[in-house]
Amino acid sequence: MTEPINRRRFLKVLGVSGAGAAAVSACGIGPEPTERLIPYLIQPEDQIPGLATYYATTCRECAAGCGLHVRVREGRAVKLEGNPDSPINRGRLCARGQAGIQGLYNPDRVARPMVRNAGGAFEAIDWDGALQRLSAKVAEARGKGIVFLTGAEVSTFGDLVDEWMRQVGGRRLSYEAFGFDALRAGNRLAFGTSSLPTYDFANAKYVLSFGADFLDTWLSPVEFQNGFSRAHAFDGGRPASMAKFVYVGPRMSLTGMNADEWVGVRPGTEGALALAMAQVIVSRRLAAVPADAGRLSALLSAHTPRTVAEAIGIEQNVIVRLATEFANARGGLAVAGGMAAQYANGAEIAAAVNILNYVAGSVGSLVKFGADLAVGSAGTFADVAALTADMEAGKVGLLFVHGANPAYSLPGKFQQALSKVAYKVSFSSYMDETAAGCDMILPDHHPLEQWADSRPRAGVTAFQQPVVQPVFDTRQTGDVVLRLAGRTGTFQDYLQAKYRTGRGAGFDQFWLDTLATGGVYGDAPTRAVRLGDVSNLAVAAPAAANSEQQDVVVFPHPVLHDGRGANKPWLQELPDPVSKIAWHSWVEVHPDTAKAWGLATGDFLLLKSDFGGQKFPVWITASVRPDVLAVPTGQGHTAYGRYAQDRSANAFELLGVQPNSYGGRNFLVSASATKTGEHRKIVTTEGSPRERGRGTVEVLGVARAKALHAGDHPFHHEETPEYAAEAVAWWAEQQHEKAELGDYRGEQPRWGLAIDLSKCTGCSACVTACYAENNIATVGEDLMQRGREMSWLRLERYWLTDEHGAPQGAVNSPMLCQQCGNAPCEPVCPVYAAYHTPDGLNGQVYNRCVGTRYCSNNCPYKVRYFNWYNYAEREGAYEAWPEPLSMLLNPDVTVREKGVMEKCTFCVQRIRGAQNQARLEDRNVRDGDIVTACQQSCPSDAIVFGDLNDRRSRVYQLAGNPRGYHVLAGLNTKPAITYLARVVAQDTPSHG
Amino acid sequence: MLALPPVSLRGQQAQPASSAVSRYQAPVVSDTGDLKGPRQPIFFRHDIHAGQDQIPCMYCHYSASIASEPGIPSLQTCIGCHQLVGGSTPSHQAEIRKVRDAWRERKPPEWIRIHALPGFVRFPHMRHIKGLGTSLGVEANATCATCHGDVKTMPQVSLVATLKMGWCVRCHVQNKVSRDCSVCHY
Repeated sequence: MTEPINRRRFLKVLGVSGAGAAAVSACGIGPEPTERLIPYLIQPEDQIPGLATYYATTCRECAAGCGLHVRVREGRAVKLEGNPDSPINRGRLCARGQAGIQGLYNPDRVARPMVRNAGGAFEAIDWDGALQRLSAKVAEARGKGIVFLTGAEVSTFGDLVDEWMRQVGGRRLSYEAFGFDALRAGNRLAFGTSSLPTYDFANAKYVLSFGADFLDTWLSPVEFQNGFSRAHAFDGGRPASMAKFVYVGPRMSLTGMNADEWVGVRPGTEGALALAMAQVIVSRRLAAVPADAGRLSALLSAHTPRTVAEAIGIEQNVIVRLATEFANARGGLAVAGGMAAQYANGAEIAAAVNILNYVAGSVGSLVKFGADLAVGSAGTFADVAALTADMEAGKVGLLFVHGANPAYSLPGKFQQALSKVAYKVSFSSYMDETAAGCDMILPDHHPLEQWADSRPRAGVTAFQQPVVQPVFDTRQTGDVVLRLAGRTGTFQDYLQAKYRTGRGAGFDQFWLDTLATGGVYGDAPTRAVRLGDVSNLAVAAPAAANSEQQDVVVFPHPVLHDGRGANKPWLQELPDPVSKIAWHSWVEVHPDTAKAWGLATGDFLLLKSDFGGQKFPVWITASVRPDVLAVPTGQGHTAYGRYAQDRSANAFELLGVQPNSYGGRNFLVSASATKTGEHRKIVTTEGSPRERGRGTVEVLGVARAKALHAGDHPFHHEETPEYAAEAVAWWAEQQHEKAELGDYRGEQPRWGLAIDLSKCTGCSACVTACYAENNIATVGEDLMQRGREMSWLRLERYWLTDEHGAPQGAVNSPMLCQQCGNAPCEPVCPVYAAYHTPDGLNGQVYNRCVGTRYCSNNCPYKVRYFNWYNYAEREGAYEAWPEPLSMLLNPDVTVREKGVMEKCTFCVQRIRGAQNQARLEDRNVRDGDIVTACQQSCPSDAIVFGDLNDRRSRVYQLAGNPRGYHVLAGLNTKPAITYLARVVAQDTPSHG
Repeated sequence: MLALPPVSLRGQQAQPASSAVSRYQAPVVSDTGDLKGPRQPIFFRHDIHAGQDQIPCMYCHYSASIASEPGIPSLQTCIGCHQLVGGSTPSHQAEIRKVRDAWRERKPPEWIRIHALPGFVRFPHMRHIKGLGTSLGVEANATCATCHGDVKTMPQVSLVATLKMGWCVRCHVQNKVSRDCSVCHY
């Protein structure tokens, strides 16, 4: 009797059947190729295949010095996490930190020492030969000017270089492209010290930022974001209280987007606003003003709200209101830096903000001097400009460059000057612009491959240890310097010798303990500071551009920063948190200005300042002042690898190379703007900038939020319409029966997430963490333009507007697979690849998927992603992981191939891993055992994962919070993710 | 340092000095052509090591009870005995010489993998050992033999089960454990 044809048999007959399968054919169907097992020669003691080993080290992607735990599998680093022991980041990590691993395995790393040959091209050389040549050059260059240029390097390595430079009669200079010169000069003006304090955001009751981007790039973003979340989130630590956050600046950055109120003052007038607020506080005695504030009376009386209101561009009563709120909060913190420091009067602005803090009583409590942040000890821009002048004049005979890329941030000028230096050596791991202009490249180990230490702030010494064997034939620069200095031993010996002094026999234990925690963590005592003589402080804004020219603000890209992130595909593919643009730069133009000039988004605008010109595509947005254009840095590299090179335009070309009065650089320039007539489709993941009441994000005023009780349901929640009630009941019955069959019987967890929109800042650390954990492919600019990006978790940014339609801030909502209880994608899969697991997940079985794409079609959240091309194919056209980038792939997660649908799985590999571990230990999984990658990385702790069936779990409590709602609740999908509504401080009229 | 679960600490039982059971004698293999399974670079005989010498499976495959990977022994494990044990017949001596050469030249042998699952399957070894039983002495190596067959009588290892999904699922159904797709496919 013949079997009736059913679906499975039909597909089996159509496809290649098992018996007599073809040999491996071009389309890759066939038996697996023979694998070989190569055992270790000697089993390493602390490695068990299949189990990960974690090492503590330090992230060196910026100067903040966050601690890392590196997950190492079989000798490969596969994931970076924050180190919970570090007081700086407390176990969290930003997107730049997560992408550090792509710097380690970058395919464009310099693999061995190179030297420029007679023909001018680079050729490989062995280490001994290179060092011999270099020693000769050092001897030759004595007395002719030897300079060693580093990044911010407050560390034993920095000390070693200083020592060596003294030995050879040279000098060391450190350079950060976004050094905080204005802030340091402002501190010197106001308090007589140019060191940088630390700021206690967690205990602030009111945060007022004058252009300081403490959530993107300012000083120590992860630390400040964590503190800010405790102060500003609605339920953050203190029940139902919320510190108001006001942002003052010409454009809304990532930080500005999270403000309750945006005060868009005229660029350069931030100082006047700060002084006017201080005047209000002192004259009306709104705070316990310090005794010596009498010295400020002359200065403050010249800056009353009435005198400055017009110059700033906001009304007097607003200034008075802000000052009153700031003082009455009894814990107001004002911070300056970022864009407010980018003008010619940046130091004065920083000093004015210091005065505001001083009169409100925050200095010493929330602004703590004594921390001496490492980034504050880098050289100023004036120092590097002087160096460039010396190089140009032929006064430098030998230049070493380590951890800095001045040829990119001072384009043209530095490169020209570089050609006048007799011999130049780069220690860069990558062929960046500066290395491309050097004569010898001695590639340093990546920070994950080396022994080192650093002191990011007083009291904290962060250690680095190698977590993997060096990937290439590189050598630690510390070793090279020791060799050149004629000393024996490696840098590791030198480092250990430093810590050995005074410890005697206890050193070995100290060393092991410190490596386990990642460093020596202590608090530095707060140093009291005295107000200096500021009676002559001149905070007047520089003259506005003439009518022919525009004010152009060049700001640091939150992810690419000063350009160093551009060679990492995860960072290039990460949409900018504000503009949602990836892979290229843009210029921000206000809609009124765009209308006046006849511009559409994507039209190219040529910006020409006195120093250079570049063209950028326009992005029309109301988040910038109408009289200001804003351009990010980071793109426009002329070298630096396949992901960075020849891409978009370099905003540093627009800037001058002369230092200003306080030794810093002006990042506000006057430039002419002309339409070039060209147009491009910009690469953006933004759908609609407005939420339009669709139920994707919910916002509550703070008064309403405080009035909520448990059991309240202020938002729409799903209800089954009558016509569907019977069908839904039948479906639920079927699921229930299935769940009672055999092995599915019994209590199962229901995995769920709670995401607090009051905490989410939109920083996108979770997105990069997800890419790292789940082997998600980067698709590149062309495919992203066609909407083929693979990000399982995306951040949707919706503007919040006031009654005039001007943006006041934004709500950021992480959108990922909702693991719906009543999923629209499950019934439509013809092959049961999308199905519901007994533990509440919406499962996706990659090997069953045939690529119908009906599931993605049906998904209302559009969180399913299809592999249109073979991103894993070696040498393929869309290769996402060219060697050795494939070494960072997580072995616990399948790498998908073409034709397969994928989506967020709630890190099911971590769930199963925790369940396996619990089973081995004969116990149940506890709440907190399973942490998803996004949750682990989030600096604000906005995401919480757990078992919704466990009444004692954190996620269960949060899911029952009255602020909770489901996205698109009316569709009755019964998602497992509860979002908690964003709470905004009310009564925030618009300005500027 | 490593949190080892109790199962791995209980795994290896020593044999009593006077065993009533007669010891298994591995046969002399004169014609390797008839043996099933691929020819390995060194003719390692499980029937001598695991059968005759009663070395527990976990002595070499150490990580099977604690990790997802079964753990192929390092060359150091082999040379641990074979620096002294030279072999009793010329053919044994020839193979052991290969081990010593590999150690001296620091080139571990490249074994042909026999039990391999495709890349979209995640097989946690330790769950199966925990579930099927923890007595892993040589007399009762039933746990490992469930899937790998009676390895202690194999001169050359070969596949005894298809390792296809149907075979896995049948055992799961018989033992009443989860058949959920996402416990293995993710």
